[in-house]
This record gives sequence, C-alpha cells and structure tokens, in this order.
Amino acid sequence: MKKLILLALFALSAAPAFAAVGCDLNDPDRDVARLFPASTGYKTQYLSVKTAGGAPLLARIEARLGDKFKGLYETIDVPYTLYHIYKGKEKVGYIHGVNQKGEFGGIQAFITLGLNGEIRAFYIQKLTSKGAAALRSKEFGEQFAGLTLADFAAYDPVAGKVAGEGPAARLKSPSPAADKDFRNVLRSVKKNLILMDELLFSREQK
Amino acid sequence: MNIYSVAYKNLLRKKVRTALTASGIALSAWVLATLFGFNRGYESGLNRDVDNMGFQVLLTAKGCPYEAATLMLKGGTGLRYMEEDVVKTVSSNKEVEAVTRMLMQGVFDPNKGDSGAIAAYLGVDTHTFPAMKPYLEFKQGGWFKTNDGYEAVMGYEAAELEAREVGDPLLIPDLGTELKVVGVLKRTGTQDDGTIFLPLDTVQKIFKKEGKLTGLGIKVDKNADMGAFENRLYDLPDVQVVSMAQVKTTIMSLVSSARVIVFAIAFIAVLIAMAGVVNTILMSVIERYGEIGILKSMGAMPLDIFRMIWMETAILCSLGGFGGILLSLATARAAEAAVRHFLPYTPNGDMIAVNFSIAAGAFGVIFVGGLLSGVYPAWRAARVRPLEAIRNEGE
Repeated sequence: MKKLILLALFALSAAPAFAAVGCDLNDPDRDVARLFPASTGYKTQYLSVKTAGGAPLLARIEARLGDKFKGLYETIDVPYTLYHIYKGKEKVGYIHGVNQKGEFGGIQAFITLGLNGEIRAFYIQKLTSKGAAALRSKEFGEQFAGLTLADFAAYDPVAGKVAGEGPAARLKSPSPAADKDFRNVLRSVKKNLILMDELLFSREQK
Repeated sequence: MNIYSVAYKNLLRKKVRTALTASGIALSAWVLATLFGFNRGYESGLNRDVDNMGFQVLLTAKGCPYEAATLMLKGGTGLRYMEEDVVKTVSSNKEVEAVTRMLMQGVFDPNKGDSGAIAAYLGVDTHTFPAMKPYLEFKQGGWFKTNDGYEAVMGYEAAELEAREVGDPLLIPDLGTELKVVGVLKRTGTQDDGTIFLPLDTVQKIFKKEGKLTGLGIKVDKNADMGAFENRLYDLPDVQVVSMAQVKTTIMSLVSSARVIVFAIAFIAVLIAMAGVVNTILMSVIERYGEIGILKSMGAMPLDIFRMIWMETAILCSLGGFGGILLSLATARAAEAAVRHFLPYTPNGDMIAVNFSIAAGAFGVIFVGGLLSGVYPAWRAARVRPLEAIRNEGE
C-alpha cells in the first residue's frame, strides 16, 4: 500500500518532460507501402543512444562518423524510430530516418535497408534548400541503392570529401546550388548507417 | 483481530468476485477523474492561450470571426487584409493602451513531406509586440532591433524542426529569400512554439503587401467599458472585432454542451458501479447468514455487524477508487491524444490536468457513493435473527 501511495504522489507531482525531437515518417501506412512495395505490414521500435549505451556509445558513434554530434538538436537522447518491414510473417527489411542540420533548414532523410544492411532506397521527407528539388529527385536517390556502411567509411563529413575511388566517391551533387546540402545528406546517410549498425545489426549478431 | 482485518479477510474469501467489483469501481473512478481533469485542464488551457496572446481584442479583415480566432490561436494563416490606416483610428480611442500590428503570410513548400505543406511567417512590430508578450523568453539571442531587417526569431519547435540556431541562415521556400536567425525562443507550450517571427516591414516587402495587415492586437485599459469600446470598433468598415473574452465564452459553451452528455454517461457509470457493490456485498451477506447468526449469538450487537459489513464496502471502494485514480494518471496523455483527435480546437499544454484536488474529489465521490450502496446490505446483515439464521444454516 505504501508503494502505491508513493507512486500516486509521484505521478501527481511530476512535471511534464519534453524529449528531443525524433524523425518519423509523416504517414507510415502510406510511406512504408511506397518505400517497400512488396511489404504487407510493419512494426515500430524506438531506439536511443542514451538508453542503448549512453556516453560511451555516443563517443564510439562519433568516432566512426568522424564528426561530433552538434548543436541543440543532435543530442544523445534523440529517439530514433525504426520501422521493421514485413511481408506476411517474414521480415524483409527496415526503414530508418535521421534529422540532419542543413544549410537553410532541417533535413529529414530516410533510408530503407535490406536485412544485411545494404541500402535499398533513399528518401528525403523534408528539406529546405536552394537545391531541394534536385536532392529530392528520383535520379539522385537511386545513386544510393546497394551501398553499405563500408562504402561510407571513407567519407569525411568535416571535410565533405570521400577518400579513394569507392562507390561513395561516385555519388555526385545534383546541382551547384545543392552542394552544401549534398554534403549534409551524405553525413546523414553515414550517421544513419552507423546508428543502424550500433543499435540494431551488431546487437542482432551478438 | 479488529473489525478492519475481519472485513478484509471476508473480501478475500471470494477473490474473483471482489476483484471484478473493484475493477468496476476503478473504471468509474477513472472516468470521473479523467472528466474532472479535462474540465479543469481545458478551461485553464483556453484561458492560458487567450491570456498569452497579450491583447484582449483582435481586429481582422472581414470574415468568419470564429475561424479568425482559431487561426490566430493555432498560428495559422489568414489571407484577408486590412489597410494599415486602421491603426490610427483604433489608437485614437481612449480605452486603448497599446496596439500591435501583425501580418501573417504563408508560402507553399513543396519539399515538406510527400505532397508539400504551408510554411507560415508572422510579421510583427518589434517596437510593440515583445512588450505585449512579456512571458516569451529566449533560449538563444533576442528580438530583432528594427522592423526592416532580414532577420528571424523562431519559436522552439520551429527551430527544432528546422535545426536552426542563432546565426544560421533561414530560407523562405518559393521566394528564395534568405534571413538570419537572431533569436530562438524557449518552449512556452503555446502556439508561439511553432511560429517563425519576422520584422513586419520585411514581411510586407518580400510578400509585396506594403500597407497591409492581417491582424491588429489591441490591449485595452482594464477599467475600460469593453462593451462600449467594442461597439465603436464594430462601426469600422471592412474589419471584424474578435473579442478574446467572447471567443473564450463561445468555445466554453460549445464544450459545455458536450460535457453535459459526458457527465451524464459518467453518472450512469457510477450508478452501475454502485449497483455492483450492492450486489456483491448483499450476496456476501446472504451466503454468511449462519455465520452472522453465530456472531450475534456470541454477543455481537447489530451495530457491530453493520459496521463490519460497511467496512467491507469501504475497503472495496477504497481499492477500486485508488486503482481508478492511478489508471487516470497513467492514461491521461492517451486520453488527451484521443480528445485532441476529436475536438476541432484544443488548447495547448496539458489538457487533462489530474491533480491532487481532482484525484481527491473523484475518490470522494466514489467512496461516498460506495458507502451509500453498502447501507442496505449492512442493514440486512444487522437485522439477521441469530436462531433463525443458525437453524437455516443447519438445514
């Protein structure tokens, strides 16, 4: 009884807490069907660096990214929404999005992944940029199909350059007006793939 | 062993029946606490929304007054315009303490979501608007210094969505105009969180609406005759007067109509729970006639039996009521989301505010209702004749 009373007092006195902003599909039913045409359903899972491993995990992610999580809105407690995609009872892949600071506004970039972690499709849900139309074009998105985290290992988000001649080096900015946000998009994809590896694939292997 | 533990053990004899009855009571308590919380939260949220506007009267171009008020409360766009000359006319009234000019504009951004969305900007007068919104605090930076700079102040959620900080550039889609973010507001829980504020003259210039306004906020002397003042404003051509007090009254009267129906349902839920209590305790009494007879033959007085049975009712109602209150606290956010889905206008902030007084009130209603329900079974038990009861038990 004492525990119940304490629980009630806590609930009555608790002030509302505001979490950091996540990156969700605007209309999951419609978007999942469009991004995974063969899918029949999906399940949603919420992940966070803070709960999955805290500061040591964040440091590892930043080291792999080659850049720090920055600003007021790229924080350790950001809730990441992972969509597990099913065809019947069989899991066929994942959809995961991240927020990325762009030149003129926020970017919400999603990738769809196969079970082995290779990119199947790329989708920018929201973008404020002078090169927005080019970056959201089908042709630009198709460049990412088949790429994996290993392909982005050579991308340095601080310098905005890819070392060597790998597949990521062949990704091209769709227009000069979009150059800065092109580099921001590449950073978002690399961050997304690292998060998926740290929060999902490496844990499944364990 | 005291009377409390006897009553408690009696309830434990039929665990499933006790649990089901307590669940019924809990559901009633949940409905009551949630409704009381909504009643309080909605009204205080609406008051907060209106008070946070900083002015008591809003002047807009002719159109639907309720739509205009809702648009302003929710930070939407209004596409009807007033001439700026109206400021002089309004300011000449002795009741007016201050006025602030506003121009809301929106552009279609095709790169927001799959089918695009409207990006809205509120042009405000930097010399008068901040003074009317003293509750606004900055997380970073401050207000723009002039009315014609290419600068922006962003509400917390707008800045969060656009990942903007002070010093960052901001692009108005479609127009291709670049602005510099000079301030990011702290979260307020109001419509201001999602607003992008720009200097008024800048908005008029880049949207080619020189000399036009969509709204004029009027702060009126508290001692002024509001009715007489509003009547004079009604005489102005091509404008409409939106009194925030009227808006509040209209919304509350609409909500009150729905509330009467919902409270009627809650009352029925409480009645059903009370019937459940009567049924459970009465069955318990009838099953224990012989036992009660033995207790009386050993010297228990009718009042002792009455108190024992009544105590069972009290324990049952306490458990159910307490469980229902906990349930209402746990589901307040879900209930709020459901209400927001169905109501056309809902205020910002917590709308279902279950606090200690509301929890105590709901518990009190359930507890007193339960005790009243227990009077008849307790009275029946107190009237049991010992010899007759023991004889019947033997047969």
